Amino acid sequence: MPEGTLCNKQPIQTEESLKTLLGDTSGVQYYKQMKELDVDQDLLWSTIKKTCKSRIRTWLEICAHCGMCAESCLYYLVNNRDPKQVPAYKIQSTLGEIIKRKGKVDNDFMHMAMKTAWAKCTCCNRCGLYCPNGIDMGVMMSYLRGLLYAQGFVPWELKIGAGMHRIYQAQMDVTNEDFVDTCEWMAEEYEEDYVGLHFPVDKEGADILYTINAREVKHYPEDLAEAAVLFHAAGEDWTITSKGWELTSLAMFAGDWEACKIQVDSVYDAIERLKPKRMIGTECGHAHRATVVEGPYWAGREDGLPPVKCMHYVEWVAEALRTGKLQIDPDKRIKEYCTLQDSCNYVRNHGLKKITREIMGYMVEPGYFIDMDPNEEHNFCCGGGGGFNGIGLYRKERNIGLMAKRDQILKTGAKLVIAPCHNCWDAIRDLEEEYKIGIRWSFLKPLLIKMIKIPEHMQPKE
Amino acid sequence: MFKNILLATSATKACDHAARVAFELAARFQSHVAVFHVLGVPSRGFSQMIVDVRTGESVPLDDDYKAWVTEEIKTYYENQIKSHKDTETNVAVGFPHREILRYARDNKTDLIVMGGSTEDPDLSGYKKIMAGTTLQRITKSAQCPVLIVNRPAASFWGGISSIVFGTDFSKASDVSFQYAKKIATSIDDAELHMFHSVDISSPHAGLSLSQEEIEDQLREARAKMRKRYVSQLKGFNNYSIDVWEGLPYVEIVKYAREKQADLIIMSHQARDVSPDKERLGSNMEQVIMRATCPVISINKHTSALNN
Repeated sequence: MPEGTLCNKQPIQTEESLKTLLGDTSGVQYYKQMKELDVDQDLLWSTIKKTCKSRIRTWLEICAHCGMCAESCLYYLVNNRDPKQVPAYKIQSTLGEIIKRKGKVDNDFMHMAMKTAWAKCTCCNRCGLYCPNGIDMGVMMSYLRGLLYAQGFVPWELKIGAGMHRIYQAQMDVTNEDFVDTCEWMAEEYEEDYVGLHFPVDKEGADILYTINAREVKHYPEDLAEAAVLFHAAGEDWTITSKGWELTSLAMFAGDWEACKIQVDSVYDAIERLKPKRMIGTECGHAHRATVVEGPYWAGREDGLPPVKCMHYVEWVAEALRTGKLQIDPDKRIKEYCTLQDSCNYVRNHGLKKITREIMGYMVEPGYFIDMDPNEEHNFCCGGGGGFNGIGLYRKERNIGLMAKRDQILKTGAKLVIAPCHNCWDAIRDLEEEYKIGIRWSFLKPLLIKMIKIPEHMQPKE
Repeated sequence: MFKNILLATSATKACDHAARVAFELAARFQSHVAVFHVLGVPSRGFSQMIVDVRTGESVPLDDDYKAWVTEEIKTYYENQIKSHKDTETNVAVGFPHREILRYARDNKTDLIVMGGSTEDPDLSGYKKIMAGTTLQRITKSAQCPVLIVNRPAASFWGGISSIVFGTDFSKASDVSFQYAKKIATSIDDAELHMFHSVDISSPHAGLSLSQEEIEDQLREARAKMRKRYVSQLKGFNNYSIDVWEGLPYVEIVKYAREKQADLIIMSHQARDVSPDKERLGSNMEQVIMRATCPVISINKHTSALNN
């Protein structure tokens, strides 16, 4: 069978096909069909010829097979130093091999490549930091994912995730109406505790356009309310947009390049329409990478920059605390041992390591913050990045990977892990469920709400 | 009044008494009953896996699973549904408190009925995910009254006749009063007992109040109750007012016992849902835990009845 009804080379184009795919519980039929899926070798080779540029070709060529990257990879470390988990091996045996064979690879090979791309690498880019030649296997693995996606070899959940972006311009089935209505709901719920709280919608020329993760709307809208409370308390001139509000991109994890562009265009359109002075996104790592770091290239922006200055939430928090827009009641600072999860996507890959530590300096009583080891740009991925958290097929491999973070946290002795990234937050939650080490985990917002001084005008009268 | 009752249930024994109260009220007020069960908490990032709240197992979510759980719930409440035709059953996925609040808002529910906590920490997967309990979060944020039946003994078998209204003189208490009055006046031979406790527990009142000060406060509170509430009870004579001093939640529970209350109505003031305090934070939570009858909690989001 060349093309399956569920597993095929076509991206999701309609709501109906998205629902049909969702209806295939755990992707049982989908993966069955994948076993029969033909590889379009001509397409594969012509795509490589068009898109595999000199950087990746050079990287593949100059890799000295020295093995210096081995110890940098958490999957190598937690899998008993399995040589097949050495980053250089993982990319040479997949992308390298496809190129060597000019695309002449079969279905079995593609299955192996899929497992390597999604179950042995989170695209955390840590190996790139340790390669003496500066080769970034994470970047190459992302590229490989794109080739695999175009051939239909992609984990079920990510085919769905990319489809969600195509249909809803959001990672979940959350419509624009759902989003605005949920914000109104949160204002109703919180305005008596925080007088004057509301969500300005589609305000033109505001200082801040705030963008989010659809899961906040779907499952924990408290996060939206908390963001509003903090902006309000800081006296910011801010707005949300009724369209183009989703910062995340499962399309990036899936390797669906076309959907990546659709998604980021929707946010940039909102920016162009509302003309804010800057855009600030929620506490999410990959979303920042997708929309702020890589997005400009997907959107074809010549300057390689988004239409306005874009900041990660941690940058705004640091600014607000530094300038006194938000003030912390010193009595309410964290007085228990706590640690911080450095998100790969905005720390290692976007340099925000000092910013998050500046925030810790304001929020945590001196002596109670304990850094993980290693930390900052050397920190390990949470173990759930790159889409790994959501893939049922590779649950076992994901759970083994969580051990690296578990052991890092245990070594700090901290019971509270501050994780300003949705993916990290999920992975740390899961590792507690899996390994029960007795920790709590939190985004910044709920912690901040408890410790800031609420301005007089926001305090209820009664 | 109470045209649209939402029975939020885990479909386990913990909710049996709440279910009985919900259907009892529905029969009395000819209400529509929505039996609502949040079957699972989303997990695994964006995946379709959920943790079933009753079994604690990870299961892949699909329409079949939802339909199967819906049928199970219907079977669990088979007898009630048979005798009360105007009932529907729905299930949802999400964090229980959030989905219950969402359903209530979307469907214009005018009374949420819930059982107490399941007490079993291993059973409630959601507790590990978000601190605080479902009950706490719903009583804090619901836009309509919430009726909680926590203790197994805490359910009326023979209908409602003795209603205790506890007041702290807040705005929410004024709304609670309206509900109490409305329920009392719509039931034949109902008694309405209005109660306030002067809080003499430290640190609220300092370490020691003189007996004169306490008695002054008691007098003041009685006068306030007459002015605020009794004046509105035109034509309804079967009421009493009492003001005691002590620890408010203890006093109200004692008072309710003395009056053989079938229902306590009071307002909920707590601002924070604190993970550290678990559910023992406010007077309301203490009363819910201890009272031997159902408790209706009314928060500041609940709008007043149109008289």
